[in-house]
Amino acid sequence: MHLAHLRLRDFRNYARLDAEFSPGFHLLLGDNAQGKTNILEAIYLLATLRSFRGVGGAQMVRHDHKGYFVGARVVGQGTRQIRMYWSATERQLSLDGQPVRRLSDYLGVLRAVVFCTEDLQLVKGPAARRRRFLDLLLSQTHPTYLPLLQRYTAALRSRNALLKQSLVDAMAFDSFTQELVSVGNQIIALRRELVPRLSPLARLAYRRIANDAEELKLAYQPSVKTDFAIELAASRARERSYRMTLVGPHRDDLALMLNDQPAAQFASEGQKRTLAIALKMAQAEYVTGLHGTPPVLLIDDVMGELDVRRRSGLLPLLERSHQASGQVFMTCTEENWPRELGRRLQRWIVSAGSLRAVDSAPTP
Amino acid sequence: MSALPEPLVDLMAALGRLPGIGPRTAERLALHIVQADPAEVDRLATALTTARLRVKACERCGALTEAQPCALCTDDRRDASLLCVVERPVDVLLLDKTGVFRGRFHVLGGKLSPINGVEPEDLRIRELELRLTAEPIREVVLALPTDVEGDATSSYLARRLAPRGVRVTRLAHGLPAGTGLEFADELTLSRALEGRRPLD
Repeated sequence: MHLAHLRLRDFRNYARLDAEFSPGFHLLLGDNAQGKTNILEAIYLLATLRSFRGVGGAQMVRHDHKGYFVGARVVGQGTRQIRMYWSATERQLSLDGQPVRRLSDYLGVLRAVVFCTEDLQLVKGPAARRRRFLDLLLSQTHPTYLPLLQRYTAALRSRNALLKQSLVDAMAFDSFTQELVSVGNQIIALRRELVPRLSPLARLAYRRIANDAEELKLAYQPSVKTDFAIELAASRARERSYRMTLVGPHRDDLALMLNDQPAAQFASEGQKRTLAIALKMAQAEYVTGLHGTPPVLLIDDVMGELDVRRRSGLLPLLERSHQASGQVFMTCTEENWPRELGRRLQRWIVSAGSLRAVDSAPTP
Repeated sequence: MSALPEPLVDLMAALGRLPGIGPRTAERLALHIVQADPAEVDRLATALTTARLRVKACERCGALTEAQPCALCTDDRRDASLLCVVERPVDVLLLDKTGVFRGRFHVLGGKLSPINGVEPEDLRIRELELRLTAEPIREVVLALPTDVEGDATSSYLARRLAPRGVRVTRLAHGLPAGTGLEFADELTLSRALEGRRPLD
């Protein structure tokens, strides 16, 4: 699958942009604050309907303008036309000229995996970051996961509200507990199924990038050890003093182990960066395995953080993706773009909200 | 400072408090009313106050009615041993329109919602229990919404009514009738799969 055409109107610093992209490797070069990442953001927005920078629609509208438009032609199994308009009062999303009624009909038309400096928080940050990583991957690959998760969150909020009351109606409490347990168990089962499939992919990616013998292992660490209902009941006394639900998938973690030691504590800075990229690589491989076509890879400013050895391990991984008619977009500043990647790539110069193709002749 | 006459502004504010009416619609309706034939506006005003005065909740089942108790509660042709519990008065109309359910109704007036502070005492559950004692009810059919709060309310009622020995059932989850599978979302389909049953 690849993005063949991108059209932006009043999106971030782009007044208007129309660009054709072939499958393969695209390098977006430019100084800081010229709009390199905004292109990746627009592509990610088309794929997931959200910004990977974690902002709402208003921040993506060009300064002093009413709304943004993002359009695309995606070539996968057939050609699809996406048009998206956002303003404070109006939202439109259409696929091949038809308004999109259900998100599940839309998601999957374009799949993308983003690599950015924020990914380091997957290793260093709190468990919530890793839960979100699992949640995002399961939502991309398992159509019933997102509604389950929303249901779980609703049940959890209700149950916590009951725990905050001074006098808890035992029967009402049991009813919401029953909801929490039945939905929670399905979430646990899906996460438990996913992690062992992801772990070997991450291990392989890590080994290729780091090019050394460290063994990466991912392990699902569920908050619930054996039986959700029993463990909830056992935590009642503590729940009463904390006034919130202390056991359940909302407390799960994904353990990242390097040579059987927790990476957050024992890994070096370089190892942590490598690990973050390996997780994203594993995500891309997993999605490829399920759907048969690689997702579009969006790589934002990651190369500058890796030493030469790790860069030379990562680049072949990225190059592989366009062998299967995949597509990679990578942002770089003039100074640190990977010149070792000279062959067969399309370079683009990004400056002040415009995009210009540069002859793709190999650089000496 | 508004250039509009004060009564018109008041009318717009009052209309804007109605459900589903935003500021634009409120303005359009208000402008229409102040320019309409006075007799027509009079009829509207009378209809509003009369409807509000004469339509009440049925003391027995909670559905909207003019007579006490309502026609559904006094209709002898209805099966008095079957009682269907719903969330809102409008749900009674929806179920009655099917023509399949020939029992009686009971409106809870809401669902358990700890987040919005709705507790069992705020729902018409006491009234339900009184009816179970007073009427020859053998089966209670729960027809509540299937979101978290609706399902929790269903299981709450099942627990609370259990000691009374009355049969408690709930509506099935499943496919919309008369359509292809493509019209069901994934969660509905997976629930329909779980609730499959043999053909006989």
